[in-house]
Amino acid sequence: MSRTDSPLPPEANPALRRPSDPGPDGPVGFVLASLRMAWRWLRRMRTALYLLGALGLLTLLATVVPQFPNVPRTVAQWRSGEAGPGRFVSAIIDLLGGYDVYGSPAFLALLLLLFTSLTACLIPRYRAWWRVLRRTRPPRSRHLEAQEQVAVLDTAADPADVHAAARRVLAGRRWRLRAPDADPDLPDQVAAEKGHVVREGGSLVFHTSFYVLLIGIVLGQLLGYSGQVGVVEGKAFTDTASGYWTSTPGRWWTDADHRAFTLTLDEFHVDWYRDVRLGGQPRVFLSDVTVRTEDGEEIERTVGGNDPMVVEGMKIHQLDWGYAPRVVVHADGEVLYDGYLTMSAAEGGFYSGAVKVPGADPDVGFEVFFWPYAPEDDDGTPQLTGAPWADAPYMVLQEFRGDLRLDAAQNVNTLDKTGLAEGDVLALRPGSLAVLPDGVTVAFPELRRWVGFQVSSRPTAPLLLTGAFLILAGLIPALYASRRRLWVGAAVDPASGRTRVTVAGRAFQRPQAFEAEHRRIVASLAAALAELPPSSPPPADLRPGDAPTEVVPR
Amino acid sequence: MTEIQLAELSRVLFFPVTMLLYLVAMGLYLYALAFTKVDRAADEPAIAGTRALRLGTLVAAIGLATHLGHIVTRSLAAGGRVPWGTMFEYSSVMGFLVVLAGLVVFQWRMRRPEVVGFLLLGSLLTMGAALLLYAEPGPLQPILNSHWLKIHVFAIMLAATVFTVGFVFNGLHLIRDTAEQRVAERETARLTGSTVGAAYGGPPVVVENDESPLGSDVERADAPADLADGGVRGPADGDDDRAYGAALRATISPWRLAAGTFLGTSVVSWVFIPASPTVEEGVRRFLGINLALVLAALVAWWFVAKLPSAATLDSLAYRTIAFGFPIWTFAVLAGAVWAEQSWGRYWGWDPKETSAFLTWVAYAAYLHARATRGFRGRGAAWLGIGAFAVLMFTYYAVNLVVTGLHSYGGLPG
Ligand code: HEM
Repeated sequence: MSRTDSPLPPEANPALRRPSDPGPDGPVGFVLASLRMAWRWLRRMRTALYLLGALGLLTLLATVVPQFPNVPRTVAQWRSGEAGPGRFVSAIIDLLGGYDVYGSPAFLALLLLLFTSLTACLIPRYRAWWRVLRRTRPPRSRHLEAQEQVAVLDTAADPADVHAAARRVLAGRRWRLRAPDADPDLPDQVAAEKGHVVREGGSLVFHTSFYVLLIGIVLGQLLGYSGQVGVVEGKAFTDTASGYWTSTPGRWWTDADHRAFTLTLDEFHVDWYRDVRLGGQPRVFLSDVTVRTEDGEEIERTVGGNDPMVVEGMKIHQLDWGYAPRVVVHADGEVLYDGYLTMSAAEGGFYSGAVKVPGADPDVGFEVFFWPYAPEDDDGTPQLTGAPWADAPYMVLQEFRGDLRLDAAQNVNTLDKTGLAEGDVLALRPGSLAVLPDGVTVAFPELRRWVGFQVSSRPTAPLLLTGAFLILAGLIPALYASRRRLWVGAAVDPASGRTRVTVAGRAFQRPQAFEAEHRRIVASLAAALAELPPSSPPPADLRPGDAPTEVVPR
Repeated sequence: MTEIQLAELSRVLFFPVTMLLYLVAMGLYLYALAFTKVDRAADEPAIAGTRALRLGTLVAAIGLATHLGHIVTRSLAAGGRVPWGTMFEYSSVMGFLVVLAGLVVFQWRMRRPEVVGFLLLGSLLTMGAALLLYAEPGPLQPILNSHWLKIHVFAIMLAATVFTVGFVFNGLHLIRDTAEQRVAERETARLTGSTVGAAYGGPPVVVENDESPLGSDVERADAPADLADGGVRGPADGDDDRAYGAALRATISPWRLAAGTFLGTSVVSWVFIPASPTVEEGVRRFLGINLALVLAALVAWWFVAKLPSAATLDSLAYRTIAFGFPIWTFAVLAGAVWAEQSWGRYWGWDPKETSAFLTWVAYAAYLHARATRGFRGRGAAWLGIGAFAVLMFTYYAVNLVVTGLHSYGGLPG
């Protein structure tokens, strides 16, 4: 019985366990013993299976529960009980770190365990694979007839010649051959194997590439950068630490790493299908930009959804867009506010934003609502539609008075209305102007659009791509290569005086394919044997080089 | 023809034309299977009703042609783009590929026509689910318009097709294996007075002087199962196939099978309730899907004696899933490359990505289980079924429900 089909679990299989040395006694010994036990536990495939299961469960949680890094607003709604399963369940989710699964200690611990387990199982596998790679002696078979595939040939050739021929045939088919045995007691036999190195090697490459990915991801987070900024048509932004609305610099990213280019949004093209069937589905979504590098080089380019631009290693993506109406607030002939609101579409197709004017007395703030397409009906009332094209822009402002408390951090697009008194409602079309009772005027002189760009640096992208490639390159042989063994034993049959050649083989995978391969090998061997000279004077009825006959086809 | 006429033609070709053809073909395949005499010694349920089988093949082939017609007209109606831009479209293409694989790979190449009827059933279920998600053809969002759409979505579709086939085999394997084991246990109990398990495993293998089994489980890992195509059968009652067949069927209570299937499939199919226009409509869809799956399980149960042996089905399932796994891996990686192209980050753990990763982990767990002692056989098959449930979750639930929770910020599916 070989180890290959041992019925015992691996732990009980003495051949797989290193001789245990008793080690020191006392607390040190206890710690060592525990560590050894943990290591052995981590080495088991079953452990990997459980860890993968745990990873699956955490991931399932992250799929059904909104994740803070992705959708902070939804998470806030869940936390407040406005949406989701209610505040109580939400508190439990919070307790479990369910709103940020991939940042939670549980996930990190699991990742650590997985990689430790991976390491623990890869070390012995690498060792074993190295031995297979170096071994010159694929195993012999004691009972050739008991193998899966057996064919017996009958020839007049000398057994030694038969073995040499078998070696030639197998070597020609790139089988790994067993080096000749030194032990004279062993009956002569050609033993060969194929697929072992590739299959296990592929599996090792596959599993090892997780480290490549891990390194790529961690380094990428340390070295990388990504910043988001909205740019109004005709305006520009500069790639500096303060040039972005939001940014996530890696820990090792420094301000000096910025490329300090300036990007101007010359024009933004957007269009939709307007027929009834497809109404509102976007058709075009492109930004014409000019980038001026620090050295003064100018690049004009169109950036689109799947078509980012690369400037000095930084990638510029066009991510989203919105309308940017310009609002001007005057009081006593003085401009108190003049700016473009960068508004994003809300559900229902309208846009909302805020104007905050601290210079008036008291402060004045406006909640702003904007419809790109609000045509007038017959009696002049604007029809508020959800259509996105700006054919009949219409803006409604709700005035608020009081202390805006602008020293506190606030979202530019929302107005904190606590303690403010509601005032008038103004409605504006482009080019029009409204006057409040105290003489403050609000104008809507023009409508532009803005585009949200992301600028990012991902220095480890090539490493990650390599890891991805290695995963696939390893996986394919790991799953498809089949390991097989073949033995050829030739011996003189004392009864007939002729040589009996047994060609036995077995495949660990895909037995049907191997059956055909075995048949082909037997055929080539038979052809090779036909060329051999007979060992001794042939019996009268056989001519030299008589074709061997197959005795036991199976 | 106008685009609207093309769209109409395409819809009619899908339903009723192709679905009816598949239904008829499935009936013919199952009819042929019903009259098949199983030669248990050869483990080749040599299909006897050859005329029904040939007719079934013909009808299925015509169905493939009309299905292709549907796909092409749909693509033209949408302005000549690739025909896999919406959930309906890729479910439809999947149904097509399942039948194509059934005819070409399993009937023609592997000579296993006895599984084709079940693959047609799987395809019909996929297409039925597609009908629930029907959307008129239209052009793609500009953000979707990229070579990566063709590559990534096609790979996802292909892998999902392969996994669907693997699921059919896993399901058949579970039913057949349960029946075989119970018959064997009863036999053993009858013969020895004990219920200690039936023999399970490949033929004895003699390999001497094996210097190094790789790692802990590797060398041992897949040898017997893939070799054991001969399979396991009830030990003592070899003579009477009819009796053996009846015994196999009698081991499983159809009521419990139906109830179990209903409960099991409800786990994923509930998503059709919130995703439907009205609650009543949602409940109708939910019941429709579950009852169809229950029916499918009962059909498999009815034919349990005519199925290939559990070991063969296990091996078919494993090989199918092992074929699909690298495709899924590639698809997910291609998705990451596309995400970097289009959204400026290759991985953002958004629900679709997270759930595609979950599917990958689930199938990786299946492959590991298949190589782990003690998980072999039914344990692995259950994992395979679970992995398919995760795939369905990724395919349908994430688009239908998680989007409904607004956490999938308008990103394309
Ligand atoms: C954590 C420790 C891990 C251990 C101990 C481990 C062990 C193994 C072993 C021994 C095999 C070979 C089985 C065979 O020959 O069929 C294997 C295969 C495989 N492993 Fe792992 N693995 C680990 C982690 C992972 C992880 C994290 C993944 C990815 C989710 C993974 C995915 C796979 C896949 C897909 C296969 C099948 C391909 C092959 O045969 O090489 N493994 N694993």
